[in-house]
Amino acid sequence: MTTRLLTLIALTATLAACTSMPERNSDLDRARGRFNVAQRDAQVETLAPEELKQASTTLDQAQNAWDKGQPKATVDHLSYMTAQRVIIAQETASSRASQAITAGAAAERDKLRLAQRTAEADLARQQLAASEQSNARKTAELAQADATAKQNQARVDYSDARAQALELALKDLNAKKTERGFVITLGDVLFDSGQDRLLPEGAGYMVRLAEAFKRNTSLKASIEGYTDSVGTSTANAELSDRRAKTVMAALMSQGVLADQLNMRGMGENYPAASNDTAAGRQMNRRVEIVFTPNSDVILAR
Amino acid sequence: MKRHLSILGRLSSPALVMTLLITAPAWAVAPLDLGEKMAVAEASVKQANTTSTNENAPIELQIAATKLISARRAWSDRDYLRAEHLAEQAQVDAQVAQIHAESVRSSKAALESQDAARALVEEINRPNIR
Repeated sequence: MTTRLLTLIALTATLAACTSMPERNSDLDRARGRFNVAQRDAQVETLAPEELKQASTTLDQAQNAWDKGQPKATVDHLSYMTAQRVIIAQETASSRASQAITAGAAAERDKLRLAQRTAEADLARQQLAASEQSNARKTAELAQADATAKQNQARVDYSDARAQALELALKDLNAKKTERGFVITLGDVLFDSGQDRLLPEGAGYMVRLAEAFKRNTSLKASIEGYTDSVGTSTANAELSDRRAKTVMAALMSQGVLADQLNMRGMGENYPAASNDTAAGRQMNRRVEIVFTPNSDVILAR
Repeated sequence: MKRHLSILGRLSSPALVMTLLITAPAWAVAPLDLGEKMAVAEASVKQANTTSTNENAPIELQIAATKLISARRAWSDRDYLRAEHLAEQAQVDAQVAQIHAESVRSSKAALESQDAARALVEEINRPNIR
């Protein structure tokens, strides 16, 4: 009987313990609050999904224990476990985020270093290329300058040689150096008296003279006819003109170019000597070949 | 003695068995896996005790260690449910200490690497003296 009573008391006590549970468990509420914060955190959701799931499972266990009226100690314990698992999820996420930053920074550094090396290499290559180009250009310039110098030297040598040859040739032709330039005087003796025809004796000389013109196509000359003062000045002018023409024709017949020559009759003007003596008059009857000073610069010497 | 036995015999009714089962406190018998849980907690706390946690999570480590001591005491007091809870908590606390230390370390490393990157950028951008 006593035992039955005791049993009843015990049963009642147990039931009383069950029904006198508070409406809420503050630890569980706190744990849920923390879990919700973590769950709303995109970083945690992304970087620690597994850890968050464990916290969620533990929270469910705590809620379950609470719903089933398990002892407060059990609910509190599971709530504590939930809160700790939330912390684990959060710390894991933050740790992984930091690691990602570190890895990213390292990658960025590597990229920067690589870019730097590449830039340096490019610069070096460019400088090398530029210097090679510059060397090549300088070499080419030197070669060009050398060639030009040689050419100039050759030209100088050539024109020196040509000028010397021409001078020799002109001297050989009895050209006289005067203030008007080199002048060849063809005397009266080469012409029939009073005629414009060249005597055969002068033919050899004309060939040599033509040769000098042909060898130096830049050589130009003016063929000027002169007479003494005997006779009318008109007749003298015509005679001097005809003789100059004869000489020019003779040279052209030998192959001298027309543009190397021009001619004019000077008549009795510009006598070379006095017309009072026979010797003087003979000297005045002449054809002068005046080499144009600018036909060859060297001649101006 | 004889009378006592007879009482037990008389009391072996379903009602009594049920009563005994309901009123028996949870800690009356040690859970089968408590030993295992204690061992796990011991190992976790021991594993969490590193230079890094001592430096970066000393409080968290202290909490775990204290929980473990409390768990041992509860076990020896035959407060098995409490021992089980404390063992589980010590284990999760040890985990928190470790992960917190790691988080602090990672955060420092991230700051350092960002500083290094900044320094490198500055160095690269510095006009070259050639």
